[in-house]
Amino acid sequence: MLKSVNAIRAPRLAAISLILSLTLLGVAAGLVKPAAAAGDQVKPQEADNVACLACHNQPGFSLPLPSGESLPLTIDAGHFDDSVHKSLACTDCHTNISTFPHPDLKAQSLREVSMQLYTICKNCHLEQYDKTLDSVHQKALAAGNTNAAICTDCHNPHTQTQLTDPTTGKLLPEARVQIPMKCARCHSAIYDQYKASVHGSALIGDGNPDVPTCIDCHGVHNIQDPTTATFRVYSPLLCSKCHTDPAIMDKYGIPTQVLNTYVADFHGTTVTLFEKTSPDQVTNKPVCFDCHGVHNIKRVDDPQYGLAMKENLLAACRKCHPDATANFPDAWMSHYIPSPTRYPIVYYVNLFYKIFIPTVIGGMLIYVLSDIARRLIERRKGVKHA
Amino acid sequence: MSKKGSVPIKQPSQYERFHWAQRVAHALLLISFTTLALTGLPQKYAMTGWAEAMIKSFGGIEITRLFHHVAAGVLMLLTIYHILDIGYKIFVRRSQMSMLPGLQDVKDGIQAFVYNLGLGKRRPQMGRYTFEEKMEYWALVWGIIIMGITGFMMWNPLAAVRLLPGEIIPAAKAAHGGEALLAVLAIIVWHMYGVHLRRFNKSMWTGKLSEEEMLHEHPLELANIKAGIVRRRVDPKTLRKRQTVYYPVAGVLAVAMLLGVYGFVNGEKTAITTVPPISSPVPIYVPQTPTPTSTLLPTPTTGATVLTWDGSIGPLFQAKCGACHGTTVTLAQLSFATYADAIKGGQDGKVILPSDPAGSLLVQKQQAGGHPGQFSAEELGLVSQWIAAGAPEK
Repeated sequence: MLKSVNAIRAPRLAAISLILSLTLLGVAAGLVKPAAAAGDQVKPQEADNVACLACHNQPGFSLPLPSGESLPLTIDAGHFDDSVHKSLACTDCHTNISTFPHPDLKAQSLREVSMQLYTICKNCHLEQYDKTLDSVHQKALAAGNTNAAICTDCHNPHTQTQLTDPTTGKLLPEARVQIPMKCARCHSAIYDQYKASVHGSALIGDGNPDVPTCIDCHGVHNIQDPTTATFRVYSPLLCSKCHTDPAIMDKYGIPTQVLNTYVADFHGTTVTLFEKTSPDQVTNKPVCFDCHGVHNIKRVDDPQYGLAMKENLLAACRKCHPDATANFPDAWMSHYIPSPTRYPIVYYVNLFYKIFIPTVIGGMLIYVLSDIARRLIERRKGVKHA
Repeated sequence: MSKKGSVPIKQPSQYERFHWAQRVAHALLLISFTTLALTGLPQKYAMTGWAEAMIKSFGGIEITRLFHHVAAGVLMLLTIYHILDIGYKIFVRRSQMSMLPGLQDVKDGIQAFVYNLGLGKRRPQMGRYTFEEKMEYWALVWGIIIMGITGFMMWNPLAAVRLLPGEIIPAAKAAHGGEALLAVLAIIVWHMYGVHLRRFNKSMWTGKLSEEEMLHEHPLELANIKAGIVRRRVDPKTLRKRQTVYYPVAGVLAVAMLLGVYGFVNGEKTAITTVPPISSPVPIYVPQTPTPTSTLLPTPTTGATVLTWDGSIGPLFQAKCGACHGTTVTLAQLSFATYADAIKGGQDGKVILPSDPAGSLLVQKQQAGGHPGQFSAEELGLVSQWIAAGAPEK
């Protein structure tokens, strides 16, 4: 019996609260401060969110758009309460809606709806929004490509959960896994490559937090065009952020000498000099990803693709040196430091000069110093140099 | 030199030491060597601040390498000239090969050192070239050979590893760098001390040495000059005969060596000039299908349309209007939860007048557009047809 009473009473309660809140809204809408941490505003928010959800909680609630698309209007209250925005009032973002019926929607299509709404994010997230203004997506957008990602494409404001640890500011492990899936919504072909790579398979398969997720290399919000000269010459430093860190690499037995051995070589020296002296100019000298792959990076001992297999390395060389022969890959010391067992000729040439130069120059210096001394002695004595 | 300037002396007070061609060659050598050192050492020590600053001042690493290559070309041409010149002196002029090192030079060196230590009474008496000069000359020869070979390997790595192991390329680079450092240090310690610091020897520019200098540095040569032993003139007839043999041989040799230099510089196209292609390129923008939406997907429309409340019309009202005019919420006291509710109407009275779609408030509101639960034109057509048909329940 109790249940049925409740069932009858529920709509009335909702209706009452709705009417109450609608009248409140007209007064409150202009006063509500948009703020991320808004604990003091819980009560009015609860009231008007309930009012909004009274309609917007209905499954399948949608509005047809002139484009023929249908704008879904259902907000899943459960998801919303799990989101980072749970303490916000609907009207904090939907500032133009304070009455019912709502003002006319001017958007012609779903994309236009997003386009009209996403700049609201900057009211609270100005730092991130300003960063996006410097991003490749913003450049594409400015060039007229409305497919370019905007805030809400990656962060659904109604369901976005916490991505970073509030105390450390570091990405949460689950966020690292979610990020590639977000990017995949537009870059699915790249995602497929990444998923099969040594990095992607470890992240998506095992949730390994040591491997890079998209934003570790591409950045977040101010994502740069990765096809520029600047990105190219800077990229070795991106890879080396992790690959020179013994704390990460030692776990997998990966040497951390990869950057200095690269920089010591002709290719790496050139790229590093470009990076330092003229980062905006193109160099065709290879960077890490030219040999190891971009998103499809494989283990070096991968039997099919790994560069430790000489034929794979030769194929990589031939991308730039089409006439390379079987001996050629050894001209690159594969990130090894020459030793009596690895690249011994180089090791012994270096050793030779390490001994030869001091010997020759030392011998010369001894003679020169003896000559100086003799001349000084003779000058003091007033003797003619014999 | 006699202090009595009035006494006429037949012997010249200045002795020619270097012919103008030798002085020009030396000047070119100086320029090319300095350029090679200035553009080469920053490449060897590329990761240091000073090297970076130098490379930047040259206009970047590619320009630096271009300067290095041009200077290397000049040095190669200079080497060819020197070989032909030596050939001329040996085969045509039959000059004494005064630059050849011998046991005497070792003895001279030891004697000079012993003297400097204060253990000997006299400095060695030396001829046209002192052991110091010979050491420098042969160090240069050695250096040019090593730098030439290793330079060739780095300039033409594909050709070099056709026969040799690939490892020879980094080894060549190591040797090139080591040898360069040795050469520059030797120039600073040996050459600069010997001819700049100890006593500024201008003969490489003026071409001449004074008698006093000759007596001090090259007493044996001076004695030979005075005795008329050196600088013997070849009689013109013999000279011409030898020249007719030497010139064609030298010409062929010159062409061969020049071709060698051309091959050295232009022999192979080591690498492509464009940025390497991405190994397995994929298109950048490939949205997932179906494109995920920011909120839940709309309810799919039903297939067949039956123009009764229980058929298509009821579910259509549920989907489009139910959120605000349903069981939980009944805005304007209007509900479409059941057929009876729909026909009953709301606070503004009936919204559906069976058989009169134009007169029905619902149709009027929907035709005006902009209602939150807006029917599409097609849906509104169906609803109007249904009302026109008397708004049947079943």
